[in-house]
Amino acid sequence: IPDSGNKYYLHFTTEDYKSGESAGSCLATVLYPKAKSPPAVSIKCTRTRDQKQIQEEDNRLYQKIRHQTKPIIGSNIPDSYGIIQPSLEPAWALAVAGSSYIMWEKSTEHLGYFMAQVKAVKQWLREDDFVEFDYTVLLHEVPTQEIISCHMRLTWLPAHPLKVKYFCASESQGLEEASGLESGSAAEVAHGREANF
Amino acid sequence: MKILLVFVALVAAARSEELFVGHQVLRVTADNEEHIALLQGLAEQAELQVDFWRHPTSPGNPADLRVPFSSLQAVKIFLESNGIPYSIMIQDVQELLDEEKKTMLKSRRMERSTGTFDFASYHTIDEIYNWLDTLVENHPHLVSKIQIGQSYENRPLYVLKFSTGGSNRSAIWLDTGIHSREWITQATGIWTANKIAEEYGQDPSITAILDSMDIFFEIVTNPDGFAFTHSSNRLWRKTRSLNAGSSCVGVDANRNWDAGFGGSGSSSNPCSETYHGPYPNSESEVKAIVDFILGHGNVKSVISIHSYSQMLLFPYGYKTEPAPDYQELNELAKKAVSDLAAVYGTKYTYGSIVDTIYQADGTTVDWAYDNGVKYSFTFELRDTGRYGFLLPSSQIIPTATETWPALLDIMLHVLEHPY
Repeated sequence: IPDSGNKYYLHFTTEDYKSGESAGSCLATVLYPKAKSPPAVSIKCTRTRDQKQIQEEDNRLYQKIRHQTKPIIGSNIPDSYGIIQPSLEPAWALAVAGSSYIMWEKSTEHLGYFMAQVKAVKQWLREDDFVEFDYTVLLHEVPTQEIISCHMRLTWLPAHPLKVKYFCASESQGLEEASGLESGSAAEVAHGREANF
Repeated sequence: MKILLVFVALVAAARSEELFVGHQVLRVTADNEEHIALLQGLAEQAELQVDFWRHPTSPGNPADLRVPFSSLQAVKIFLESNGIPYSIMIQDVQELLDEEKKTMLKSRRMERSTGTFDFASYHTIDEIYNWLDTLVENHPHLVSKIQIGQSYENRPLYVLKFSTGGSNRSAIWLDTGIHSREWITQATGIWTANKIAEEYGQDPSITAILDSMDIFFEIVTNPDGFAFTHSSNRLWRKTRSLNAGSSCVGVDANRNWDAGFGGSGSSSNPCSETYHGPYPNSESEVKAIVDFILGHGNVKSVISIHSYSQMLLFPYGYKTEPAPDYQELNELAKKAVSDLAAVYGTKYTYGSIVDTIYQADGTTVDWAYDNGVKYSFTFELRDTGRYGFLLPSSQIIPTATETWPALLDIMLHVLEHPY
């Protein structure tokens, strides 16, 4: 759009990350303004999955985590061979959700991300009902192919939005990527973004 | 006791429960007959669920007791108040079981690779290099191994030659592992090389191809990088060459070719993952292939295999202008991708590099194409980002299996369209 920026029209389908089962489709527009600022997004999704079922799954995940007698600690998830220890799967699942928030904020018109690996995870036990995890996640950046290391602090309670605080450092020296302290919570992101998983 | 531990672990694993979290194993030494009687009384208290791994027999001989977490306090108080000495042999039984399961998996992996080669697991460079010799031994009239050069750290660069004879026949070049972290590619390369050897004389397509043409297959195209992914950094991509004046190591071997070299689809920063290197073919790993292909003079197709993204790509990457053979390459890609999807439903996108993925300068296939190799393709294998580079080994055989018909499509087309 002349003098304004580039506008993208998207139609995409979604699927459950664990089961691969279809979870609905979305129509969205994304406008990247000429002046580099966050894009303007409007999105509408139809959901095929039952809210009640999602809530039940959330609760199951939550119980699984709470049921542990010792705080969850792990590293290299998945490992070099792509294996995720069953006992670490809940922590991995939360990392995927939390990282998606980081990637959402970091993505630009020309830079995209994938979560490559959870380098380390440590659970902080809390007195209240929230579960809290400290992560080092590695993000794969395209098209630069760089591996970005991010420190992520995540807090969650079912039926509440995920709270994510993070700080990413570029692994590559010499690139003047902005690495300032960034933080936020899912509550601040009013893009209609689902924090349920 | 070891057998019991293993059995219990297997049962627990089969039921995928954590049965022994917080359980401890106490080593108790009965000093006299009274202690022995007391310990036997302890065994009879069913609600405590104390499990004797070693029974108290006579004074002075130790007994080993597995005590569930919930009974620990009671049992310890019992022992202490009766003056029966004990020590904690195992702090947490579940931890030990977890550790053991890990070790078992690891040794199973090792076991499988010494007997018959396990195509369903990832291997080290030594294992792969040994297997190359095995393949040649098993198919001496079809397969030979040649060395085309050396890596920066002086590792041999081996290429498998599949040939039924002739002299300098038209040839197809395949390579995997140019980016070392893309482990699914070397693994697929091994399976595919084996498949070519096995299917010659059985499958009509590959038989027709090999009756007229030769296939050259480099499986570990970046051995230094590959060794590094095993020893130090699983996500290493580049070569391991030292860069003058920089503390950063390595060059992106797929930006080092002399086609659009140095453009914005690569980086001039040695610390970058897409660093193109000081000049084209600066990397011995790349130069070896360039020299081989130019020296051969009759290579009709170059297929370079990468991961991940699930794409089938052809030139150009360094410019947006369509390749002269765009139509034909696009049609062939379309067919190959369709045949790939027919196996397990895996969806690939296809098109020129610049249209489908992003601008990339100095790539293998662009160089090959600009040097007269019409049928130049790049595969990006599974997946689309969920596991990315860390694709579980359970997907090796499915990935290789579905890619096979796509490769055959391309090779057959090359056979049927000589130029």
